[in-house]
Amino acid sequence: MAEEAIRIENVTKRFGDFVAVDDVDLSIAQGEFFSLLGPSGCGKTTTLRMLAGFEVPTAGRILLEGEPVEKVPPHQRNVNMVFQSYALFEHLDVEGNVAFGLKRKKVPKDEIRTRVADALELVDLSSRSAARPNELSGGQRQRVALARALVNQPRVLLLDEPLGALDLKLRRQMQIELKAIQREVGITFVYVTHDQEEALSMSDRIAVMSDGRVAQCGPPEEVYEHPNEEFVAGFIGISNLLEGRVESGGRVRIGEDCLAVPDLGDGHPEGEMVQIAVRPEKVAVDELGGEPYRIEPDMFTVEGEIESKVYLGVGNQLTLKLGNGGRLVALEQATYRMRADEQWEIGQRVRIGWHPEHCMVLS
Amino acid sequence: MSSRRFWDWFIFPGGIWIALLFAVPLMLVLALSFGHVDDFGRGVYGFSLDNYRDVFDATYVPVLIRSVAYALATVILCLLIGYPVAYFIARYGGKYRYALLAALVIPFFVNYLVRTYAWVALLADQGLINNLLVDWGFTQEPIQMINTPYAVIGGLVYGYIIFMILPLYGSIERMDPSVVEAGKDLYGSPLQTFIHVTLPATQAGILAGCVLVFLPAVGDFVSAQLLGGPDTYMVGNLIQDQFFAASNWPFGSALTVVMMLFLAVWMVFYLRRASKGEAEVL
Ligand SMILES: Nc1ncnc2c1ncn2[C@@H]1O[C@H](COP(=O)(O)OP(=O)(O)O)[C@@H](O)[C@H]1O
Ligand SMILES: [Mg+2]
Repeated sequence: MAEEAIRIENVTKRFGDFVAVDDVDLSIAQGEFFSLLGPSGCGKTTTLRMLAGFEVPTAGRILLEGEPVEKVPPHQRNVNMVFQSYALFEHLDVEGNVAFGLKRKKVPKDEIRTRVADALELVDLSSRSAARPNELSGGQRQRVALARALVNQPRVLLLDEPLGALDLKLRRQMQIELKAIQREVGITFVYVTHDQEEALSMSDRIAVMSDGRVAQCGPPEEVYEHPNEEFVAGFIGISNLLEGRVESGGRVRIGEDCLAVPDLGDGHPEGEMVQIAVRPEKVAVDELGGEPYRIEPDMFTVEGEIESKVYLGVGNQLTLKLGNGGRLVALEQATYRMRADEQWEIGQRVRIGWHPEHCMVLS
Repeated sequence: MSSRRFWDWFIFPGGIWIALLFAVPLMLVLALSFGHVDDFGRGVYGFSLDNYRDVFDATYVPVLIRSVAYALATVILCLLIGYPVAYFIARYGGKYRYALLAALVIPFFVNYLVRTYAWVALLADQGLINNLLVDWGFTQEPIQMINTPYAVIGGLVYGYIIFMILPLYGSIERMDPSVVEAGKDLYGSPLQTFIHVTLPATQAGILAGCVLVFLPAVGDFVSAQLLGGPDTYMVGNLIQDQFFAASNWPFGSALTVVMMLFLAVWMVFYLRRASKGEAEVL
């Protein structure tokens, strides 16, 4: 890993008896786009606020480029924050907002002028430098907040759901822009979001949080493809969870059927009940009795029937009922291979299959 | 008749009420201010500017200046005392916010005159404070507290501070706390953040509070009458004297008109700021 920008060492934060952040241990590399992902109330903002200096950890240490900072007040920390509400200064124009930090740091006037101009250029707001925040659109306000933080060239930029208030289309556009800006300035970003898609598409690494603790931390592909617990599997994307029992030889029995799981490992003794998770897009569905069309020879297959069908445009989302009463969601992408005359009927009997390596074992 | 037109008629009861009980007396005062006093001390209507000349006579100008000075001192003290109080309640009051506000407001249900008398009991030469000071041996002689400008201004501050605290509370409570955090995040020390972020963000409340305290304070006569002496005479006392003691209603009217014009200038200034969204109209 590249040089370490932030180290969060066994940090716990309590509010009275309530544990908001529970023994979090993270290391964030220089220049990394790091996301804290989790449902509302899981402690993301509290973690971010401890990095900014607005909260002091109850226990543990926070190191910024090797220096312990947990007792350093916010105005003496070389990090900046983009607030969820943007927190713009309404009495100052755009330029005044962006120049605020540099003025407090007593940067020479000429330098302030050029740096503010550069920052506004970066977020494409040069033409609105004299506007008051209340004259700007939501997207523009968001950019001002970003420029106001970036202009200080902090070691780390903290962003608390910065796109949460924007509509979907603008959010998509800003995701791409934010990522491009981060690449351009090379500053470490710590990005808080509850939107899994956003985290997956933007981050170098994601820490998935639940009830104050980090459930899993890794690159997007890893947390998506190999969630290490039910919470992660359920929070990131949809997961089908099936009850199974471990049998000898690394096999898991689901109802009548048996399934070989490639990397079950040693952690699971025979007879243990485990959850098998499989992503909807990894599930193949074929007509029962017909020629195998999508199901491949080395797939694990079970029988079932179509319970419901939702047309999504880019495909169909099928809910399948298994022989043993379990349910499974399959996402069937519309592709060039799809036959025009193909229509699923409710109640139709089908064969359902997936590659054993696409299922995840959760305890 | 459309229902819209029907409802328009409802302006009349209130309109007539205001016209009769507010505008007409005001017009009478205005008319009387151009009059004079007859041999029996009764006001007589006329067309002379003598009363207005007298208002700006050397005898009375110091009274006008003093009134404005006392009112300004009152505003400044109210702001200095009221801001921390309002800030504390709004930001740290938590679930006790409304209880704390009520505790501040309830004394104002007591008549202003009575509350000011209480100050007399406290500040008099033989009052509570002086008695304690003498008993505890801090001084031999009572300290002169009553009949001083300090007592008068103190009375005014006590009398009107709630009009400062309430609008301040409103604007501080409405302020997004993360704006203050943003100030600190952007390298502002606590003092710099207060000056450059918190004060501007609450300027609407500050302006409203200043106007609401200044207007009644500048025309007040109770505080000066009870807590002051001849040296602390304010324009309010002067006007009251013309109507009750000296019985020179025309001169009293002229004083009133001048005061009202002066306050109207302030109101216009305030309302223009308010309409630009910088101040709040309560
Ligand atoms: N100042 C505070 N006092 C008491 N509880 C708090 C405080 N700040 C946050 N919490 C609680 O801590 C939990 C985590 O909050 P937060 O970090 O804001 O979650 P998230 O940003 O993930 O939605 C929440 O249950 C919240 O109610
Ligand atoms: Mg949050």
